[in-house]
Amino acid sequence: MGRTLVQLFIDGLSMGLVYVLMSSGFNLVIAVPNIIFIAFGEFYMLGAFVVWYVQVPAGLSYFIAVPAAVIITAILGGLSYLLVFRPLQFRRNQFLTNIIAGVGLMLILGQAALMMFGTEARGVPSLVSKVCEVLGVRISLEKVVVILLSVVVLAALHFVLRRTRTGRAMRAVSFRPDVAALQGVNADRMFLVAMILGCALAGFAGAVMAPIFGVDLGMAENGFLVMLVVMLGGIGSMPGAILGGLVFGMTLSYGQYFIGSGESQILFFAVILAILLFKPGGILGKNIEEIGHV
Amino acid sequence: MSRRWKLWAATAFFLIVAALPQLVRSPYYVHLMILIMMNSVLAMTFVMLLRAGLLNMSMAAFWGIGAYTSAMLTLKGGLSFWWSLPASVTISAVIALVVGAILVRNSGLGFIIPSLIFAFIVPLVFGTFRVFGGHVGLIRVPAPDSIPLPGGSALMFGSEASYYYLLLAFAVIVVVVLLALYRSWVGRAWRAMGLSNDLAQSVGINLFRYRLLGFVIVSAMAALMGVFFAHYSTNIQPGSYGPFKAIYIQMYAILGGIGSPVIGPIIGAGILTVIPEALRVVKNFEPMVTGALIVLILIFLPQGITGFLDGRSARQTSAYLFGLLRGHQREKAYSLRGDRQALEGEGKLGESDDVESEAG
Repeated sequence: MGRTLVQLFIDGLSMGLVYVLMSSGFNLVIAVPNIIFIAFGEFYMLGAFVVWYVQVPAGLSYFIAVPAAVIITAILGGLSYLLVFRPLQFRRNQFLTNIIAGVGLMLILGQAALMMFGTEARGVPSLVSKVCEVLGVRISLEKVVVILLSVVVLAALHFVLRRTRTGRAMRAVSFRPDVAALQGVNADRMFLVAMILGCALAGFAGAVMAPIFGVDLGMAENGFLVMLVVMLGGIGSMPGAILGGLVFGMTLSYGQYFIGSGESQILFFAVILAILLFKPGGILGKNIEEIGHV
Repeated sequence: MSRRWKLWAATAFFLIVAALPQLVRSPYYVHLMILIMMNSVLAMTFVMLLRAGLLNMSMAAFWGIGAYTSAMLTLKGGLSFWWSLPASVTISAVIALVVGAILVRNSGLGFIIPSLIFAFIVPLVFGTFRVFGGHVGLIRVPAPDSIPLPGGSALMFGSEASYYYLLLAFAVIVVVVLLALYRSWVGRAWRAMGLSNDLAQSVGINLFRYRLLGFVIVSAMAALMGVFFAHYSTNIQPGSYGPFKAIYIQMYAILGGIGSPVIGPIIGAGILTVIPEALRVVKNFEPMVTGALIVLILIFLPQGITGFLDGRSARQTSAYLFGLLRGHQREKAYSLRGDRQALEGEGKLGESDDVESEAG
């Protein structure tokens, strides 16, 4: 029993960290340009697909595939900001129109993916298939690699946001765009940077996840779950994203084992709902009453 | 436009809508029109709450609750459609009362996200528990019983056209109730809340009570559409009531233009139902074209289609479009004044807020 619990913990940790990556990216997109980015799951899926393309038909190494996935999703994220969202910013109703534009983008990207890859699920060769035993607990090294990679990327993201000029400018814009503009920050450019970073994080999460779960079109639905995870932790709060992601990962792995996946998800959503009713901004978030007043 | 003129236009529109199934004999086109009508009613109710300042993502969930309740009542409870209809709407309204009492305590994202989560939970509950048929859903939901007519004959429900008229009756009821509400004290309170919560509160509007009232009415109307849809399509799956549908409802409303609460949703739902069907010719590219079209409409017609057409001549229209293309609009919008924060104080609903003129 104890060993199973530890194994489930490691499963939950690796899955949770991937959700942490995604919800950090989603957080950036929602906090800086104020876009509830519905098409976010598509970028997660694209990251995984790029890994498949680079590894299986092209036959290159995983360590080329991951940067390729990050770069391609970053470029697509930047393009989608420039072509779709940029004309919509700083307008009346922009909060609403951003959501709908995201849906439009989701239809386009989802269909493009469907046409290119088809509906079947595809496997990606795993990096290290070895399983090591520590104190009688079987741990697959693959998951350890996922955990390590995610932690490294999260630390780098934290560094960028806290220590660099761009990161500080981005946080200023998310605080108040007009005040940031008075300080000489180009809000528009920060929106672009936030979108690129956010989408790249989603692509990275997909790339990391590809060897474990395989690649299929259903991955895009994770975008909705990420939204909920972000709400749980608190919008615009990076510690909140970490907390929400880990809680969700643990719920998935323990819940699936003990009470079944459907029931555990219902339970998780109900708990989020209860938390949000008492703390509308999420556990670690600020008050968000004024963000979505339409 | 004068009120009298509007009344004539509304009557003419109604007559055309009522005559359509007689003119278009093909069941397929009648089916499309049924979908358009149902979607536009859903979008109308969405707009109603939106104008009160609440972006409601749980419409699709209540649509599903209505459908499942009626299906369960008729399939497992053995009730006739005409009993299960009021019963299902009442049950859904009670659920909406309980859920709404929890949800509407916050506004803004604090309402949007919990309502979205509710929209997630409902199809999951339907899909997970055996009672509701699991992922397969419920099949063979019976058609409404025929209504005996005085002349010895009976009104049977079977053909698309008969369902069309049933839905038309529901839609007329909903529209009349909506317009009456907009013109009443309740509607004015909602409008005040939509402009500013603080302002509305300062003139003595009980925010919680009016939001809850709006939420229950809107959910009951969505449930009514759900009941209809369950008996029309005869089988229901949990997947069709998910958050995706909620986003689609929102899309009908925004693309049509939320400035006009009745015409806008009809146009939006019409376009977004017809275009994907028409584009079946190019099969694979259909979602891409639809998606691109949505984005283009948003970029070039910021007030939706009705907001755009409102009071513009053809020349003004083309001048405006060229201005957008050449980027004039953007330069203006990027000044500090047009900033998000500057908008906080102003009303952010559509510019043509003239509800009463449409009521005629």
